[in-house]
Formats: sequence, C-alpha cells, structure tokens
Amino acid sequence: MYGFEALTFNIHGGYLEAIVRGHRAGLLTAADYNNLCQCETLDDIKMHLSATEYGPYLQNEPSPLHTTTVVEKCTLKLVDEYKSMLCQATEPLSTFLEYITYGHMIDNVVLIVTGTLHERDVQELLEKCHPLGMFDSIATLAVAQNMRELYRLVLVDTPLAPYFSECITSEDLDDMNIEIMRNTLYKAYLEDFYRFCQKLGGATAEIMSDLLAFEADRRAVNITINSIGTELTRDDRRKLYSNFGLLYPYGHEELAVSEDIDQVRAVMEKYPPYQSIFSKLSYGESQMLDKAFYEEEVKRLCLAFEQQFHYAVFFAYMRLREQEIRNLMWISECVAQNQKSRVHDSVVFIF
Amino acid sequence: MKISMAEEEAAAVHGNGDSDEKVLEFLDSLEGYLTLMESLASTLRQGWFELASARHSMGVSRVSSASLDLKDHLASTYLEMTQHEFDESIMRQPQFSLRKWASFENGICSSGEEKPDSPQLRQRCPSQISENQEDLSKSDGSHTTVDDLVKKERSKSLSVFGTLVSPKLRAAQASFETALDILVEVANLRSSMLSARNQVQRGIEETRK
Repeated sequence: MYGFEALTFNIHGGYLEAIVRGHRAGLLTAADYNNLCQCETLDDIKMHLSATEYGPYLQNEPSPLHTTTVVEKCTLKLVDEYKSMLCQATEPLSTFLEYITYGHMIDNVVLIVTGTLHERDVQELLEKCHPLGMFDSIATLAVAQNMRELYRLVLVDTPLAPYFSECITSEDLDDMNIEIMRNTLYKAYLEDFYRFCQKLGGATAEIMSDLLAFEADRRAVNITINSIGTELTRDDRRKLYSNFGLLYPYGHEELAVSEDIDQVRAVMEKYPPYQSIFSKLSYGESQMLDKAFYEEEVKRLCLAFEQQFHYAVFFAYMRLREQEIRNLMWISECVAQNQKSRVHDSVVFIF
Repeated sequence: MKISMAEEEAAAVHGNGDSDEKVLEFLDSLEGYLTLMESLASTLRQGWFELASARHSMGVSRVSSASLDLKDHLASTYLEMTQHEFDESIMRQPQFSLRKWASFENGICSSGEEKPDSPQLRQRCPSQISENQEDLSKSDGSHTTVDDLVKKERSKSLSVFGTLVSPKLRAAQASFETALDILVEVANLRSSMLSARNQVQRGIEETRK
C-alpha cells in the first residue's frame, strides 16, 4: 500500500539506498565544471579530476590523454559502483537494477551486428561495447545472418529474448532492418520496464512512471526528427513510438506525419511540460534541443532524491552519472579541438 | 611560396607593363590561395566540432571508427585531372574537378559493362556520365531527379552510423563535403599560381638577357 513503505523498505533496501545517496554526493558540482571548462589541455582535465572520485581511475593513464580514454575510465567507475550495488541487492531490487542495463545491452547487440555486417573484427567491436551491457554469449552474435538466427542462436537465453517477438523475420540483416530492430527492441524494453515498475507499486511506480514516460516521449521526438527526409515511412515511424507517455496516443499520431522541425514543435507545444523545452529554441533550429531535453531530464532525476523508500533513486543515480560522463566527454572534446568558447553548448549542470 | 621572393621578383620587372600584369596576377592568386586556406581550416574545424556534437547526441558507440564499413564498395566521389597546354612551351597547368556522389551513375551503368580491373574504383569518361544523366532524367516517366539520387547517396554514405542519424551528423557531412570542394579549388588556384609564378620568372630571365 502506497505510503507505508517506511515500515518495511529499510529491511532489504535501506542499506543500498544509503549507499546510492552517498554516491550521489560525489557527483561533480558547478564549481568542478567551471574549473574543467577552463582547462587548456586534456592533461589539465586529468589533473582536476584527480581531486574527484575519478582520480584513481585516471591517475595511471599515460600522456597524451585522449577523449575516449577519459570516457572509458569514467564509465569504469560507474560500472564498479553498479556491480557493487547489484551483488548486494535482493529481489525485486536486483531485477530493477538489471532492467537499468538492458538499454546498453540492446546498443551492444546492434553494435556487434552492424560491425559484423561491415566486416569489422569481432574483438575490436567487443572492446567498443558498453561494459554495462555485456553478456556471456555476445561474441556469438557475429555468426547470425538474419534476425531469426540472431534470436535462435544467441538472444533466446538473454533478458532481451521477450523483446524479439515483434521483430523476428527471416530477412537478411541490413542497415534499415537493424535500425528498425534497435528501435523496436528499445520500445519493447521501455514498455516492459514500465509494466514492472507499475507492478512494484508505491513511490517507485509513481516516480518511475514519470521518468520512463519522459524517456518514451523524448525518444518519439528524436525518432521523428532523425527520420525526416529518410526512407522510413509514416507507418513504420509510428510503430517505433512506445505505447505510453504523455504523447501517447494523440501526440504520436501528429508526430508520425510531421515533415520538419517546425511541425514537431507545433505538436510538442500543445503539451505544457514540453512547451518550456521548445520555448528555449528559435524557429527552425534543433541544435539545442538535445541540451534542453537533458536539462529537463536532470531536473526530474534530481527530484527523485527528494523522496525516500523507493527504487527510483537507483535509476536516477545511474542516469545522472551517465549525464556527468557525457559532460566530461563534451568538455574534453572542446578542449582537444580548441573550441572552449562552445563548451557551454552542451554541458548540463547537475547541481 | 615565399612572399619575399614575390616582392623581389616584382621589383626586378618593375617598369615592364606585361610583367607587371603577370606579377599582379600572381599576387592575386596568392591572396586567393591564402583566403581559401583560411576558409578550409575554418570549415574543417566546424566539421570536426559537428562530428563531436553528433557523438555527444547519438552516443559514443554509434559514432566511432568501429562503425566504418570495411567491405569493398564503389567510391562515391572521385577527382578528375586534366592537363591544359598553356602555350607552345612545355608548360602545363593541371586542372582538377570533383565528381561528387558519382556512385549512383556507376551503379546504373554497371550492368552491361566489363568488370573493371580495380574492384574498388571505376574510371568513367565524362561524356558517358553526361549521357547517363540524360538517360536517368528521361527514364520511364519516373519522378526521380538527379538531386533526389544525390540526396539518397548522401544518406547511404551515412548509413554506416545507422539510418536514423542526428541532424548534427548530417551537418558534419555537409561541412566535410564543402571542405572537399574548397580543397579542389585550392589545388586549382595553386596550379594557376605556380603557372603565374613561372611566367614571372621567365619574364625576369628574359629581361636579364
């Protein structure tokens, strides 16, 4: 019953909630970002990060540093924290934590399949995979020729198996099919995660519904914008939208027929939570849309920590760390390319 | 190319009208060359920045070197070089031109042709290409235009990163395409600049004789 989590939550989840709140306190602040934005070289960035929780992960990296190295090492820290929480979690928290990684698993599957289609070396592809999305038989993906084989040989024993029912065909894998597969899998994953959170009930269901609905709506907008001018038909585009969220179903109908960014804007401005996002952009412009969405997401994720005794804090922490890593990647790229004047184009402050 | 050498040469032939004209032509080419180089640096910088924006937007795993296609495929763009006889002497000024998004032309005409020696690049005569473009625009009452096919080729080349890519990646592609055009202009301008410089030097030598 909602409101009575305080009586029983701490028995199994209290310790890990305290741990994750402690981790949250280690997120970089605006002062840290200001220091980082003033760095002249990637070695300066490394020096500033040595005073943060990323220090032990970067201290042994030789110069010259590369932006991919910064991202890789910072991601390792997130993976270590996640694994430490997962191994101490009991049901249903352990399942909840696993759900958080399925998105990365989908990205890794698509990376391996696409790379194999392009005749890349499997070992090279495995090194590029996100560590949170790894599973035992991932290397075997390289032998599949179509989705049916992909499912039968490898994915049937993974958590992604239930998501394949909507996209199993015997068609050979090509770039368009793989893209549709990626988005169909992600749609099925989001809907499944949403149903799982609803089953958990209480504050977890309430807060996660809001966060996942925002994610679904953002994906719908990105799919629409990215498919403008491509061969993806309106029907195929409509099928990639999730069946929940603020935009479902009427917003999706209008997005499916949008042919330019201004039409997308006209659809989104009918929904008050998204009006504020699009009011920051000028007409015809989509460059700053990503940053506007990230800012809104960070605001909602930070609000998740205002309430106790629910699992959404774990999801919020993982997403905030991923945003932090994106920020570090962006700052590193701007410093490496000597474009420091553009560094604030995409950095999203968390605190 | 040293500016001091140009100034010395300019001083040596001062007073000779034709030579002055050649010197001015050389200096104009040099100015155009430097302006183009600056424009090229700026366009490339913009392209790399947009590529970084696309990586930030789409994710590091989607935009990386691991996405590039290692299969044999036709070149989408190739460079044509022609040598023009400038005058009766053995001075030749090479001219460069870019045939962009030519792979659709090769695809259309490949069915009846012999297999070329190189599987990766096909060399085509410009007259054959223009015939093919006419055939293409007249074919079967279809509404497909050359522009639509070029747009399709652009999307195809980006498809290694997925078919639903961010507009930032398309912007990066446009910037690098512009940079390629500028590079060819730079090559042509350099060619004419070297030719003008050679004429000025010949003028100096003749004056000294």
